[in-house]
Amino acid sequence: MDMHCQMIMDEFLQNHASFEKMRDLVVNEIKKLLSENGMAVTAVEARVKEEKSLAGKLELKGGKYSTLSDITDILGARVITFYSDEVDKIASLVEKTFEIDWENSVDKRKALDPDQFGYMSLHYICRIPKSMYYDETHPELNEYRFEIQMRTALQHVWATAYHDTGYKSDVEVPKEYIRALSRLAGVLEIADQQFSQIIGELAEYRRKVRTLIKNGKFEDLFLDGDTFNSYLELQPFAKLNAKIASINKAEIQKQSLQPYLAIFKTLGLRSLADIQNMIKEYSDDAYRLAVLQIGGTDLDILAETIGVQNLCTVYIIKHGYGEAGLKAFLDMLYGERDRNLNSAKRIMEQARTIDIYGE
Amino acid sequence: MTINKNLEADKLTVAVEGRLDTSTAPELEKELADLSGIKELVLDFEKLEYVSSAGLRVLLASQKIMNGQGKMLIKHVNETIMEVFEITGFADILTIE
Repeated sequence: MDMHCQMIMDEFLQNHASFEKMRDLVVNEIKKLLSENGMAVTAVEARVKEEKSLAGKLELKGGKYSTLSDITDILGARVITFYSDEVDKIASLVEKTFEIDWENSVDKRKALDPDQFGYMSLHYICRIPKSMYYDETHPELNEYRFEIQMRTALQHVWATAYHDTGYKSDVEVPKEYIRALSRLAGVLEIADQQFSQIIGELAEYRRKVRTLIKNGKFEDLFLDGDTFNSYLELQPFAKLNAKIASINKAEIQKQSLQPYLAIFKTLGLRSLADIQNMIKEYSDDAYRLAVLQIGGTDLDILAETIGVQNLCTVYIIKHGYGEAGLKAFLDMLYGERDRNLNSAKRIMEQARTIDIYGE
Repeated sequence: MTINKNLEADKLTVAVEGRLDTSTAPELEKELADLSGIKELVLDFEKLEYVSSAGLRVLLASQKIMNGQGKMLIKHVNETIMEVFEITGFADILTIE
């Protein structure tokens, strides 16, 4: 290594602790940004260049750099996203937070010709602004530049695989492997686009579901996790719960109604309109069953599932599924066990006393 | 009501006998007041005859604590008590073996 390169290396070694401090500041700031904006990513990582790696770089093109400050990747941070559209959202947050050296930043996604497939990543060269962190005894923390790379998980996989070939540039790679890697980059680009499209369509579907539910268009909504969750926001069983609670002036304990999605589907309910019909048709009997069961007791605390539990019970009996149907229902609720048959028999007897029979 | 406690490492087994109602629930509540360090709470109801709302509230409070630090299991529940759990919806909240 010549004297000029050795000077750069010495400066690096003297300031190593500062780069480590910068690394921690940058990672923490990026994580804070993501958290504040409710964004989840695959990874946020950063490293300070290893001495050996810097020595190699200086050996190859040391003459290109006057000082250590000219080397912009001594500190490198990387944000790996799930989906391609998140890269731009994160870039926007990074732009608002760090000082960007636009002249040296590069969008590798746009650097490729339209008929080329290869490395896709967004690289920003940044500085830590004084407004974010300033220590007058270490002004270098705001002076040295660093690189933030932003890319998707699939772009990262490709870049890592490419890096593992050991080639530093395309010109070194044998032709047939360039073609194979480019082909793979094209496939991954399609996969990235498809993932983004699916996520976008799902978000649109959820918006549509919420609108339809808000407007009471239950017949158009088939039962699935999204429709059921949005439906539960309307608290469809609250009226029946309140009526049952009034029997003993009971308090209602919050409890998840999620297990009932699978139960409704097992009972053959297909849409939210089917649940609405169940509530309309069987609420009176579900209430009468509750009166028989808890009326005359001191039980003044009930789970939020009580209304839907009794509705399903009445539905099962009225549809002629009998003891076996009730046992299967209780098995789904509490886990499969023999004693559920005793409970099913008891409930059938109680139902008979208030004239709830199979139709 | 009689309460027998047995602590083995971070597993606490509490055997309750008699009736868990308004007059006895505070006693169980007191016994379960400090569950710090407990990862598994087992309530053995083999000799418990009845549970009232006051008892349900104590069980609910313990379940909430254990949800944050481990698990709570209720064993050997008789038919009368099982019926109470079922008709209140508590069979959904509690883990009953």
